Amino acid sequence: MKPIAVIVGVALLLLYVWERNEIVRAGYHIERLKEKKVALQRERNELRVKVSALTAPERIARAASDKLEMMPPRPGQVVLVRVSPEVPAEAGAKAKVKDRPAGPELRLAKYDVTGREP
Amino acid sequence: MTTRDPYRGRRIVTAFLLMLGFVLVLFRLFSLQVLQAEELTAKADRQHRKTVTVEGGRGGIYDRQGNPLAINMDVPSVFGVPASLENPSGVARDLARVLHIRADEIEKKLKQERSFVWIARKVDPEQGRSLERLSLDGIGTVLEGRRFYPKGPLLAHVLGFAGMDGQGLEGVERRYESHLQGEKQLVVLQRDALGRTVFPKGLNEQAPAPGHNITLTIDEVIQYIAEKEIDEAVAATKAKGGIAIVMEPRTGAILALAISPKFDPNVVKGISADRWRNRALTDAYEPGSTMKVFIAAAALEEKVMEPGTMVYGENGQMTVANTVIHDHEKSGWMTFAQVIQKSSNIGAAKTALALGEERTYRYLKAFGFGERTEIDLPGEAAGLLKEPKDWGRRSLASIAIGQEIGVTALQLVTAASAVANGGWLMKPYVVSEIRNSREQVVAQLGPQVRRRPVSAETARTLAGIMEGVVTNGTGTRAAVPGFRVAGKTGTAQKIDPQTGAYSPTLFVGSFTGFVPAEDPRLAIVVVIDEPHAEAWGGVVAAPVFRKIAEQALPYLGVSSRGPVRLAMASY
Repeated sequence: MKPIAVIVGVALLLLYVWERNEIVRAGYHIERLKEKKVALQRERNELRVKVSALTAPERIARAASDKLEMMPPRPGQVVLVRVSPEVPAEAGAKAKVKDRPAGPELRLAKYDVTGREP
Repeated sequence: MTTRDPYRGRRIVTAFLLMLGFVLVLFRLFSLQVLQAEELTAKADRQHRKTVTVEGGRGGIYDRQGNPLAINMDVPSVFGVPASLENPSGVARDLARVLHIRADEIEKKLKQERSFVWIARKVDPEQGRSLERLSLDGIGTVLEGRRFYPKGPLLAHVLGFAGMDGQGLEGVERRYESHLQGEKQLVVLQRDALGRTVFPKGLNEQAPAPGHNITLTIDEVIQYIAEKEIDEAVAATKAKGGIAIVMEPRTGAILALAISPKFDPNVVKGISADRWRNRALTDAYEPGSTMKVFIAAAALEEKVMEPGTMVYGENGQMTVANTVIHDHEKSGWMTFAQVIQKSSNIGAAKTALALGEERTYRYLKAFGFGERTEIDLPGEAAGLLKEPKDWGRRSLASIAIGQEIGVTALQLVTAASAVANGGWLMKPYVVSEIRNSREQVVAQLGPQVRRRPVSAETARTLAGIMEGVVTNGTGTRAAVPGFRVAGKTGTAQKIDPQTGAYSPTLFVGSFTGFVPAEDPRLAIVVVIDEPHAEAWGGVVAAPVFRKIAEQALPYLGVSSRGPVRLAMASY
């Protein structure tokens, strides 16, 4: 009876030691993952700042005018055409509004009809 | 016969020595485990545990579309341990190359007899990575939260900035400090022999909560438009500065608040307070003729005047309290509407004289002059509106033409919004929503009515008169093609600080108005401070109003009135 009790006792002790060891190992693993998470969060924030700086309206406007040679439309170059059953027949026919994608308003670029200098 | 044990003595000595050894060990154990237990436990704890203060990140600031305007980011701060450096000069040279700081400055720090010195705080993440690659002995980095304003100078005067230790020092950063700052928490870490963290103490412990995120009423695109146009106008007129505020008249929400010259909140070191002060709400100025709008509002409400009431212009010259008031254009009889449209000083003075001191004061006060608008930004000035008992004999006439009264640009646009929205004086605001890090709404801030200075009918009539200013008065350059614009020009002489009298050369040109006049979506004030050459508000400020409005209206999807003629369309 006695040897069995000793064996069980030693086994329990070994189990306890193994468990403690596993806990410590898992602890190190958790710490490593936490560090990785912090590093990834930092990288995400860094990218957010970059994206935000790159999408600044001033930069976009500069790129549009300098690189793409774009300019704001002159008065009369942009008109709003209402796409609804009440569209005047004349405008509808000219712009073939019916064939356009559906939407409450369509913005059409056109030549200046006002005759004014911008 | 008994044999004598020859080793007995030795055994006794050995047994005695062993006993003594055990006794000594037991005594030592007793001493360590019982007598010194408390002291040693504390010592072990000190070595194994480390208590650190952890702070949640500072909350972000976003525009109404969710575009980030201020974000926090952990960046490396570089420190040195002078005692462990063998070659400070060489290390300083290596650091100087990466950090772009003078080598002799770094060397001076590294030669100090101290155990720790900061070399550079909150440097660029890229610089931190370069330093890690160098792996210099005696040089280390720690991470600290740094405030970034990714759009640079955009909206700088409203955002303000945060200090080196992350506390808000100006603008929204300061006003909403309690919301923006992250939660502070003491955390106990268990360390092993190598100093690594062994195991998080209690997995259920929550990390300290980051600060709240703030959404502004400002629209980044309209802000950009306003800043671009005011900067261009200030440069073109060689003015000292300029202000443009765009407000939603129905709510009091500020869509843009631009001040020229601007500054970059990422680099505030060395910039004077004069440069980052939000002059739209801290500086009061004499508004000049824009004040006639509010005298007219009082006169219409009190039925002292009607748009068609005839007023005699005294051929451009009238004496009040032994001083002469001039009009820049000699006029005879004109309607009250023309008084405003032509910006007649004499007509405005006569209107105020007809109203009397008490009513004039009461209406100006009701429009919010001489008191803070209570905008949610720090440093607001109340302006200057003296009580009638402190007025001189000419004061009533002077106030009618915008002298002897100090207003801020913010007060002016708020009062103009009241005319635009049917008579309601709104409380201006820049923050619309505050959310915590779990995206739950903490506070929602909406429009607030302060009072109603005039009726809807008076506001409508006045808006009609103000439309005349733009169609055939002093503000024709504010006309926006396709839209009805209502507004008023203002040109005010500044007090010369040398003489204390009105300067013949220093002026403030302004324009205040709203568009579309029939259903106002934008109220805009433009102030150009000390323009060179021409200073008329109708010349220097009205075009800025037009440029802002004609870009902002299509952006907001506001359609122009009238039928559209389509000559040729292309897709």
